[in-house]
Amino acid sequence: MEELLKLLPAFGEAMLVTLGVSLAGAAIGLVVGFALNALRLAVSAFNLLYQLYIWLIRGTPFLAQLMVIYFGLPVIGLRLSAIEASILSLGLYSAAYFAELFRSAWGSVPTGQVESARVHGLSRGQTFWHIQAPQALAFALPLLGNQVILTIKESAVTSIITVPELTMAAGRIVSTTFSYVLPYALLVLSYWLLTMAVAMTAEYLGRRATRYLRG
Amino acid sequence: MTDFSSRLALYWPALLDGALTTLWLCAASMVLGFLIGVAIHLLCNGRSHLGRAFARVYVSFFRGTPVLAQLMLLFYLPSALNIDVSPLVAAGAALALNSAAYQSQILRSGFAGIAKGQLEAASVFSIGKWKTLLHIQIPQVLRLTSPALISELIDVIKVSAVVSVISITDLMRVSQQLVAQTYRPLEVYLVSAVFYLALTSLLVLLGKYLEHRWKEHA
Amino acid sequence: MSNLPLLQMRGVGKSYGSNRVLQGFDLSVQAGEIVSLIGPSGSGKTTALRCMNFLESYDEGEIWIDGQLLGYSGPGRSAKDRDSESQIDEVRKPLAMVFQQFNLWPHMTVRENVTAPLVLGKGMNKAEACALADAALARVGLAAKADAYPARLSGGQQQRAGIARALAVNPRLMLLDEPTSALDPELVEEVLLVIKGLAEDGMTMVMVTHEMSFAAQISTQVVFMEAGQIVETGVAPSMFEAPKTERLQRFLQPWFNRSLTPRTEVAG
Repeated sequence: MEELLKLLPAFGEAMLVTLGVSLAGAAIGLVVGFALNALRLAVSAFNLLYQLYIWLIRGTPFLAQLMVIYFGLPVIGLRLSAIEASILSLGLYSAAYFAELFRSAWGSVPTGQVESARVHGLSRGQTFWHIQAPQALAFALPLLGNQVILTIKESAVTSIITVPELTMAAGRIVSTTFSYVLPYALLVLSYWLLTMAVAMTAEYLGRRATRYLRG
Repeated sequence: MTDFSSRLALYWPALLDGALTTLWLCAASMVLGFLIGVAIHLLCNGRSHLGRAFARVYVSFFRGTPVLAQLMLLFYLPSALNIDVSPLVAAGAALALNSAAYQSQILRSGFAGIAKGQLEAASVFSIGKWKTLLHIQIPQVLRLTSPALISELIDVIKVSAVVSVISITDLMRVSQQLVAQTYRPLEVYLVSAVFYLALTSLLVLLGKYLEHRWKEHA
Repeated sequence: MSNLPLLQMRGVGKSYGSNRVLQGFDLSVQAGEIVSLIGPSGSGKTTALRCMNFLESYDEGEIWIDGQLLGYSGPGRSAKDRDSESQIDEVRKPLAMVFQQFNLWPHMTVRENVTAPLVLGKGMNKAEACALADAALARVGLAAKADAYPARLSGGQQQRAGIARALAVNPRLMLLDEPTSALDPELVEEVLLVIKGLAEDGMTMVMVTHEMSFAAQISTQVVFMEAGQIVETGVAPSMFEAPKTERLQRFLQPWFNRSLTPRTEVAG
């Protein structure tokens, strides 16, 4: 018990780094993913570029992307700190997944509704924002929450480039105390609690957002 | 200074070696994960309260925590208990246990896709429960879920890059070693990403082919 | 100027690849007219209707709305000759549409559904739009449901809300695509009654319908289509009583048989 209490401050601090890095990454991913989907809808010529991006990001491991950005980019003069590289990588990585979620969410709004908006004088932009977005986002909320969870889990990989987040902190404690069980047990427990909290929040928000469907 | 193509000739054999390690490690984990996944699925639908609770916690745990953390736990925990576990076994176990959680979810929809009447027919002809599972349900489930299972294998391959941290010479580890030798991180990591891309893209094509084929037969 | 048709279609055609779904379609609709498009399913009547507001592009002929050419400025009819979306929006402004599947926006209340085209499409202020919406909803007998979400309404009520939405934009021509086909039989009449009311108030309408008695009762012009072409046009009710072509006779046969039993007509 005493041993556990000694570990908690270090874990608490590392938890904040995990949250900060993954939420910052997810925020970038959300914005970029949303923009990718919007561009795809607005400019049909953009579609090919969109598919290329999705293919590249979803076809390779996050760790490989992180390596290219952290170790590779300095070669062409772009040197990022471990945390910056992690946030950027998580952002570009999750953007592809967020974009695909937005794409399916927009696809979930029946075309008839878009037609009825267009023939009653709503512009394409107005149809996007007032007809499609509210329903698509309500539809997507639980999925978006799930993607945030995936981003949190993926952030563990940033320990490999020495970002002082949870996994790194646990490893550091292990290497100094030579006790394995407690730090690693605490590690998985911390992630578990974190992801369950996010899942419950997303589910709650999702239920609220689709209340209109139940009249 | 050698040109890119001759350097590529240098990387090529090592990366191919690493890619093969990645591929067979993932394939083995996938198969093991399938068997565990079936077990988890059966527990989930079983009569035992304890079994159902265990299955729920199992799925929630393995889906709710990072593979890297699971790997650390599986690699270091046994040694704390004085059990010797090789990195390869730890890696395979982590990937299999993790994938089993996802596969049990895929299997759930697969099993649900088989008409109830078939099971009634099996019991009418007094085919036992296990034989029904093995000869009637699983072959159909495999067929129904093959596209989803292929995409799960793709996820396993992508996730498997983290096993490089316990010094398994998979594609990622080999790339790191090449970088240490050549000091050309951008080039090496990009080429290794192309290897991953080739692996996953081939599987995507395979998945599409299977989906197409099953649709024609259905 | 008064006899310039509201809608004029000349030789309109459309193909999907090698499949010609509409050809040589001519139609002229004067203000105050009620045109029914009838015909077996797959005969192209819905395609014809959807061409009238460019929900479907047409690739032959011309469509004039209130003297303006719809969809194309020049003689070309391929995808690259199409006008910009804002130009198309401008030309189809006098039109409104009622859909088979209602196509209400489920995340908005009934009143919001009706005000959205006014506020977003026409830039009207909210108070003014609400007043118009409430008037339109009262006209379709739905004032009490203004604050409900569509999911709470019956199919008939949803379709009346759809009609109110079309009505509120004050269209010069209303297009109705099988407005009662998605409804349970017992809900059909309340919607037909509303449409009949509009007809009596002088609304110009083009309607695709399978309700033959209703079409016979309210139409000024009836167009019978088969395989993408107009087979026979005429005035109701004489076209129903004495079809000239054999194909129309055959099409109307089941309806005649049913009409031997006491004729079901919409009261009003």
